[in-house]
Amino acid sequence: MIKVQKLTKIYDMGKVKVKALDGVSFNVVNGDILAIMGKSGSGKSTLLRQMGLLDLPTTGRIFLGRYEVTKLAESARAGLRLKYLGYVFQEYALLGELTAHQNVYLPGMMLDNKGCDYKKRAIELLKLVGLGKRVHHYPKQLSGGEKQRVAIARALINSPKVLLADEPCANLDTISSGIVMETLVRLNQDMKVTIIFVSHDPGDRQYARYVMTLGDGKIIAQDGGPA
Amino acid sequence: MIRSLKVATLLAFTSVTKGNFRIALLTILILILVALNLLFVPGLLDGLAWGANDKLINTYSGDLLIESDGANHYITNVDQVMIEIANISGIDSATARNYLSAEINFEGKYTGAAVYGIHPDTEKTVFTIADYIIEGSYLNSDDTDTIILGVQLAGADRANLELYARSLQNVHAGDRVSVAYSNGIDKEYTVKGIFYTEFIQTDLQAFVSEREFQTVAPLLANNASTIYIKTAEGADTEGIIEQILSKTSGLKVMTWEDYAGLVHSMTASFKIIEVIMDVVNLLVAGITIFIVTYIDVANRRRQIGIQRAIGITPISITMSYLIRALFYSVIALSLATIIYIYGIMPLEAHYPFHFPFGDVYLRVIPFVLIRTALLLFIVSIISALLPVHGVIRTKIINAIWG
Repeated sequence: MIKVQKLTKIYDMGKVKVKALDGVSFNVVNGDILAIMGKSGSGKSTLLRQMGLLDLPTTGRIFLGRYEVTKLAESARAGLRLKYLGYVFQEYALLGELTAHQNVYLPGMMLDNKGCDYKKRAIELLKLVGLGKRVHHYPKQLSGGEKQRVAIARALINSPKVLLADEPCANLDTISSGIVMETLVRLNQDMKVTIIFVSHDPGDRQYARYVMTLGDGKIIAQDGGPA
Repeated sequence: MIRSLKVATLLAFTSVTKGNFRIALLTILILILVALNLLFVPGLLDGLAWGANDKLINTYSGDLLIESDGANHYITNVDQVMIEIANISGIDSATARNYLSAEINFEGKYTGAAVYGIHPDTEKTVFTIADYIIEGSYLNSDDTDTIILGVQLAGADRANLELYARSLQNVHAGDRVSVAYSNGIDKEYTVKGIFYTEFIQTDLQAFVSEREFQTVAPLLANNASTIYIKTAEGADTEGIIEQILSKTSGLKVMTWEDYAGLVHSMTASFKIIEVIMDVVNLLVAGITIFIVTYIDVANRRRQIGIQRAIGITPISITMSYLIRALFYSVIALSLATIIYIYGIMPLEAHYPFHFPFGDVYLRVIPFVLIRTALLLFIVSIISALLPVHGVIRTKIINAIWG
């Protein structure tokens, strides 16, 4: 269970203070698929970055299971990012000097779980996202959709409890977008990973069981989700 | 830690193999030049000091010198002292000299000199002056009425000599010179030979045989102004000095270092020059690695942010840059050492640097090699650490999204 309580994020831009999130509260149950929808500037990505432990809120609390992660030091949050969270960036964010295989197994190498052959698992994950024949390709040799699927495989290497995806299809054509979103749904079903994704495309609602719409940093609509 | 090191090694390896080849090559080339300088300067200065000391010992001072310690400037009963010395272990050979100051005249030109009475046979066992005869021949024990002159006295029509102007300028072997000794005796000698050791202080000396010297200064028979000693390889100098002093009285013993103030101060100056050059070279190395790392880190700011976002620890990212800097240094140092030993040293041996005391050959000193490696590695690590540290401290969100 992920609990978000009265989350506020204010960006200090010198003389101007911008309130990106304004008292957002919600829960996500394990194994759910949450879509955070909203217009550009509504606070979707800001919210995802707080949940992905990439940034700290100004006020409010986030619980990951029983841990209040907003209280943790950076080193502890880095450990949680590695172990419990997978993050898929909007712009693929692959490391250009590494092959698809190396990109995927790098976080696995960092965690180095005993009994887990991260190199073998990386290949399995690449096969799972339909890139079994692209294992040794470099990012520049892959299409946008393929890069995003490598990023998804990388996010899954340490068997995270939660996968966060920030506009995973923003730079993709319709066909590639469909493949990426269906891959996320399939991973949710097969691996029971909680998926939280951000999108501004209303068509992506179909992939979620819980849809939350933000406007001006506040929740303006919710559909589905925990009772 | 091992996990971090494994990840760092992968990141460093891919960064070197898949990164900008030209920048890597340029960095290594600059570091090769720096490493060559770090090897060349001490190699040259050590060669200089070694060459100067070698010439000093073999043509001027020997390893040890014995002089009178009292008011009498001469060692008396020198034959007995020489017997005592010969029995001391660690002494290879010894020779005694007497001297008088004199003025030498040739065709209206005058020059002052110290004329030494020597034992040619034992001289050859301590000094190598006999190997530097450029005209005529060396003295024999039974020679009389002959003299050999250092080239800085004779001139020998070598206008490029350092002290040519104050020399006799045109004296050659076979010429007759007149010598006015400080004890009032005047003698005419045939110049039997001229020597050119390239050590100026030696080349300002003139030698006659002890037999001839006794005809000039009969009162100094069985006396010597100085006894010069050559010690055996690896001999215990301190032990030898103690034994000499215990077996004789009224004498003082000096080492060649005590006797060689000029060479000593020169060597000390070389050390200062070496330190200055090392500091400059290491600064160049440090700045090179700093700039390369800084530009790389600035260009990869977002990438470093992503690495941190996916769980790569700051220590792994930092270590990857340190490994890369060390890799550049190791490659550069290895290539520089190969170039120095198999390229520059043989070339310099063919065309050696010429100094007032002779040719100087580059030397390779294991200590300097190890010191150079350590200094280069330390400088590389610090120079790479500084720019990386700045980015690692940046918030992930700022590193990725600005």
